[in-house]
Amino acid sequence: MVKVTIDTQEYMVDESGTILDAARSNGIDIPTLCHDEQLEPFGSCWLCVVEVEGERRPLVPACATKIREGMVITTKSELILNARRLCLELLLSDHYGDCLPPCQAACPAGVRVKDYIDLIRDGKYQEAVEVIKENNPLPAVCGRVCVRPCELACRRNLVDEPVAIDFLKRFVADLEMGDSLQSTVYSPQSMDGKRVALVGAGPASLSCAYYLAGMGYGCTIFEALPEAGGMLRYGIPEYRLPKDVLDKEIASICGHGVEIRCNTALGRDFSIDSLMNDGFEAVFVGIGAHGSYRLGVDNDGSDGVLSAVDFLRDMGLNKEIKLKGRVAVIGGGNSAIDAARTSLRLGADEVMLVYRRSRAEMPANEIEINEAEHEGIKYHFLTAPVRVIAENNRVQGIECIKMELGEPDASGRRAPVPVQGSEFTIDVETVIAAIGQFPETACLAGEQDVQLGRGKTIVVANNMAVGRAGVFAAGDAVSGASTAIEAIAGGKRAALAIDQYLRGEVSSEKLLKEFNVSKGSLDEVDRGEFEGIEKQARVKMPELEITERLKGFDEVELGLSQTDASLEADRCLKCGCNAVDKCYLRSYGIEYGVSLDKFKDGKVHHYLIDNSNPAILRDPNKCIRCGRCVRICLEIKGIGALGFVNRGFETTIEPTFGKPLAETGCDSCGKCAASCPTGALEFSQV
Amino acid sequence: MGCKCADKQDKLLTILSEYQGKSGGLIPVLQKVQNVYGYLSEDVMLKIADGLEIKPSVVYGVATFYTQFRFSPVGEHIIRACHGTACYVSGAENITQVMVDTLGVEPGGTTIDMKFTLDTVACLGCCGLAPVVMVDNDVYGRLNEARVEEILAPYW
Amino acid sequence: MQKARIIVGLGSCGIASGGRKVYEQLQQGIASRGLDLTLEETGCIGMCYNEVLVDVVIAAGTTTYKQVTPEMADRILDEHIVEGRIIQEWTVTEEDEKCLNRQQRIVLRNCGKISPESIDEYIEQGGYRAIERVAKEMSPEMVIDEITRSGLRGRGGAGFPTGVKWGFANKSAGDKKYFICNADEGDPGAFMDRSVLEGDPHSVIEGMLIGGYAIGANHGYIYVRAEYPLAIKRLKIAIEQAKARGFIGQNIFESGFSFELEIKEGAGAFVCGEETALIASIEGSRGMPRLRPPFPAISGLYGKPTNINNVETLANIPWIIFNGAGKYASFGTEKSKGTKVFALAGKIQRGGLVEVPMGMSLREVIFDIGGGTSGKHEFKAVQLGGPSGGCIPSSLLDTPVDYDSISQTGAIMGSGGMVVMDNTTCMVDIARFFLNFTQNESCGKCTFCRIGTRRMLEILERIVAGKGVDGDIELLEELAENIRRTSLCGLGQTAPNPVLTTLKYFRDEYEAHIKQRRCSAKACKELISFAIIDERCKGCGLCIKVCPTGAITGEKKKLHVLDADKCVRCGQCVAKCRLEAIIRVDRW
Repeated sequence: MVKVTIDTQEYMVDESGTILDAARSNGIDIPTLCHDEQLEPFGSCWLCVVEVEGERRPLVPACATKIREGMVITTKSELILNARRLCLELLLSDHYGDCLPPCQAACPAGVRVKDYIDLIRDGKYQEAVEVIKENNPLPAVCGRVCVRPCELACRRNLVDEPVAIDFLKRFVADLEMGDSLQSTVYSPQSMDGKRVALVGAGPASLSCAYYLAGMGYGCTIFEALPEAGGMLRYGIPEYRLPKDVLDKEIASICGHGVEIRCNTALGRDFSIDSLMNDGFEAVFVGIGAHGSYRLGVDNDGSDGVLSAVDFLRDMGLNKEIKLKGRVAVIGGGNSAIDAARTSLRLGADEVMLVYRRSRAEMPANEIEINEAEHEGIKYHFLTAPVRVIAENNRVQGIECIKMELGEPDASGRRAPVPVQGSEFTIDVETVIAAIGQFPETACLAGEQDVQLGRGKTIVVANNMAVGRAGVFAAGDAVSGASTAIEAIAGGKRAALAIDQYLRGEVSSEKLLKEFNVSKGSLDEVDRGEFEGIEKQARVKMPELEITERLKGFDEVELGLSQTDASLEADRCLKCGCNAVDKCYLRSYGIEYGVSLDKFKDGKVHHYLIDNSNPAILRDPNKCIRCGRCVRICLEIKGIGALGFVNRGFETTIEPTFGKPLAETGCDSCGKCAASCPTGALEFSQV
Repeated sequence: MGCKCADKQDKLLTILSEYQGKSGGLIPVLQKVQNVYGYLSEDVMLKIADGLEIKPSVVYGVATFYTQFRFSPVGEHIIRACHGTACYVSGAENITQVMVDTLGVEPGGTTIDMKFTLDTVACLGCCGLAPVVMVDNDVYGRLNEARVEEILAPYW
Repeated sequence: MQKARIIVGLGSCGIASGGRKVYEQLQQGIASRGLDLTLEETGCIGMCYNEVLVDVVIAAGTTTYKQVTPEMADRILDEHIVEGRIIQEWTVTEEDEKCLNRQQRIVLRNCGKISPESIDEYIEQGGYRAIERVAKEMSPEMVIDEITRSGLRGRGGAGFPTGVKWGFANKSAGDKKYFICNADEGDPGAFMDRSVLEGDPHSVIEGMLIGGYAIGANHGYIYVRAEYPLAIKRLKIAIEQAKARGFIGQNIFESGFSFELEIKEGAGAFVCGEETALIASIEGSRGMPRLRPPFPAISGLYGKPTNINNVETLANIPWIIFNGAGKYASFGTEKSKGTKVFALAGKIQRGGLVEVPMGMSLREVIFDIGGGTSGKHEFKAVQLGGPSGGCIPSSLLDTPVDYDSISQTGAIMGSGGMVVMDNTTCMVDIARFFLNFTQNESCGKCTFCRIGTRRMLEILERIVAGKGVDGDIELLEELAENIRRTSLCGLGQTAPNPVLTTLKYFRDEYEAHIKQRRCSAKACKELISFAIIDERCKGCGLCIKVCPTGAITGEKKKLHVLDADKCVRCGQCVAKCRLEAIIRVDRW
């Protein structure tokens, strides 16, 4: 035994070992990627650098430096941490892969899409829903209304069409929901009886309450309107999201121990102060964005000019609305389409949609745009209203002007520019404005330390906290009118932050975006990888006949059959890295706070993935050349199926002559995969 | 013209028997075998692995490490354009470019008629005569763009 | 009376300059004239700029002819040999002689004087007398002591005291030990080892014998680059001759000391200049350096104690034994004893090999001996130490050449490559050149060297292409410092030096490239364009002929016009124009 000093502490350690051995035997962690205890030190990754007093070199590799009596070792210093971080950044700069499946990375809520699709394929529906609910407590709702960023990112786009992720989610959520209103009644573990108040019963609050309740907090949601659901109920029409589906899902959340009090409005019936006085220790503000912009042209206040928000809310409130004649909806978002399709169902003779940019720029979902067209909505693209023509304060028509697309504006979209002298008139009896929404913040007028920003949105910090201690916000109230999944994601983030706050912890990294190495957008990925994949058409969603649809508000999309769902689940390419949970490159990358774009313009190697061996998947794109596999295969197994090839930046680890692994002497023992610190060598997932 | 394959095969076996059981023989064997075949094919490397009782992956790893070894047939003459420091500052790149234009082949490539293989090398150690080009074992120094044709002429 | 001799310099430089043809022409001339004289070949004397060199030795004395062509052979035979009249206008000038006289030739003592293929000529110069004395009169410890006292330091680059190194290997226990000569001279810009092997191979062999005796090794390897075919050939001849005389083999000089010597041809890997990589290569593996300790003196080739010295170091050994450590130590400075051979190349008037006492200033070497820059352009920097070294600016020309003073500049002595650059050389581009070299030559083992040098190269590439961005210099520095600290071997540890030294002395050039997209040397193609100066152009049409893209047009004797859109900026027109009518200008 010898005496050494590690980070100012003295230890007696075995003299035959290395610095790494000495540190580890005393519970001091030194990161390493190339070291494997079965093998002699190799010293290739240089992640394990430490400082040793009096040493000729400023940094030495701990894995390969023999311990000596009296050594004074520092394992953490600015110099060391910077070197380790740069080491990881360099390795990651030539690491081509997707940590997370792109669908999951694209989902604002980070739903583990690949995993639940896997479970659906295997018929494990209950488990699939549980996976979804880890991040999204409203799967049946989202399965109907989600804008599906996951499908835009789906790598299957490079083969044929994206996997129908949303349909699958709906399929499994519906099935699991079944007839039972509350699947399991959940009795919360008391978090010392701590209670949280949530203002507004939209998706943000529902999500926030669900996760807080799951953590054991008592949650009460206060809703101004008669029923819960927020924009899901008062903004989305019945034919897209039947109220009974929404009811069931809200009931399921209530079953987790969430109380909802309707017809109770902030600023009228209570204030944040009063909530705090009533014993709520944190308050979540999820008031949505229920205000809407006026058209801003002459006569925009005439009878017959409506806002889409009001129009759709009235529908949600079951008010009787009659429309006849011709209707013009102004705007290009989902609300505009909802208003247009609703108008058609209410008996309008003709519904047109007026949008100042072209079809390609429409923010609404493509499916929605197409469905509306099928149902008979007429589009006027590159058209903007100039004034409302009114007689006796009653709409007669609308004067429009043709637009053309100019230079890109701040949003990156090409700005529409009026074409002089192209004015024309459309005769209509109703004009519905759907040109933007904002939070109605009058209810916050008396509140201190709630700051409003652009578009009247509530300003929050990274952890969703507003200026006042214990008050958090998320959803449309923070982002401005956005999507359900964004609100759900924000609600969960706020729940985590509220938990931390109530535990007295400072906000942690958990709240930041998940670490993810990505192959890039669909334009950027290597197409070769997808060339050999057999095409298989995406499942079609069974739909109500057009004539049936227009008779009322029956749900248009009828849901997938079990057979279709299985087939569709089988289309999933299972992107993402199987080693994501055990990858040291990733866990160290997170620990050392690396930047993933420091060397973003540099060359990245792309190799073909070798799945020739049924037991071991070899993805050289993820190899960091640590040489563990080479040494294990040669020195321990005596086989030598893998070897170093080439040199310099072009160094690779390959089976002999670059052949597939199956054509070497590999006996599939799996020692290499077990040792690989990344996902370059993995056990194949059957 | 008769096939020389058998002849080459004999030479290969002779070389292998010379180094069998000797440590450190792999690189000299690769060098000698390459002299016989002009390059190292997979088949030949497997025979070497077999003959020296070394794993094929090791043979391949060693062969790909050193720039001397080639894995495809080479031209009758090998041109090595020096891109060492002295040659570089004296315009080696321009001379290589003229050769690329003249031969119609990029560095590392071989002309279609298998006459020339063009390579660039780190330093030939003839810095005093920069810029320098070596054709087979002959060194040509103090070159300029205009002299490229002249030095290649004897080899056509 | 001794026969007249004609000696043709047939080192690689001599051959490259047409030496063989001169030799053949002389051979024919001698035969046809029926002259009774000997025609011999020798290695390089170092005046590469004067090749082909031919010495005529007659009773009256020795005359050296320079830049000899085959056409000159007959006249030399007729006038000098037959008539005894020296052709003054062809002989080396006083200036040339002066350069030789300023040198102190220990390593190069025989180069260009004796026939490298004749062991007798080597012996005539006192060859193999040192090993004889060692074998007969000295104990290994005495030899080590002598070398230690001489102050000789390793000439391969790192400058470790040779005697101390031998002492380690000597003390290291082992049934078998190896002595290796590192002749894998890989630094672009260095060629002294080649010249010594081509010009005086026996001196290296004798050095190895002495070293082998001193450390107790009976087996030696010379690891020599395959790119040096002539050196290999002459070494082989020399080894056979030495074996035949009993200098190599069993019981040398009946001392009981035996030594076998083999040549190992390198297969093309700069990193094999690194001791542990070289050992891996001899063992038949990829030239990947190994962790040290254990040092080769303890566990080297095949796990046995091993000593490695480079060619120049070994060529010094017989001289030191023969002349004594004191004599050797009388040259040089306090910490850097003896002489150093430099390979002067690049934009230098008298390029070639020079051997000077340590401590001479860079200015003396480059200007007094080398004659300054070759063209009309001003001296800008001298690159020392190749890819591991750095660029030293003119303000530091008075730096003495010794290990420590050179290290202080940020460059290293290295193996002695000295590439002179004038103000047409872009310092950022030179850094890019070296990084391109190292990232290619990295063995690929260590993360920082394998990927880091590549990323440095990419940043330098974008800077010379005018696409550098703010923060690039800082990123280069961050990479450079960390690569230095975190690489296993010397290649990685020194790879950033060319960038660090140019950043230190020529930072303004980097900034101009990034901020103004301007290259002051007008060397970076993306940052320049070409222009014809109207007053100078006489319309000769030469430029039109060489232009590969037809960018220059114009009738004979009329002003030519250059179309910047078609121009690919190859510079051939500038090289061709005799009137300097085409110039490089800033493009942005």
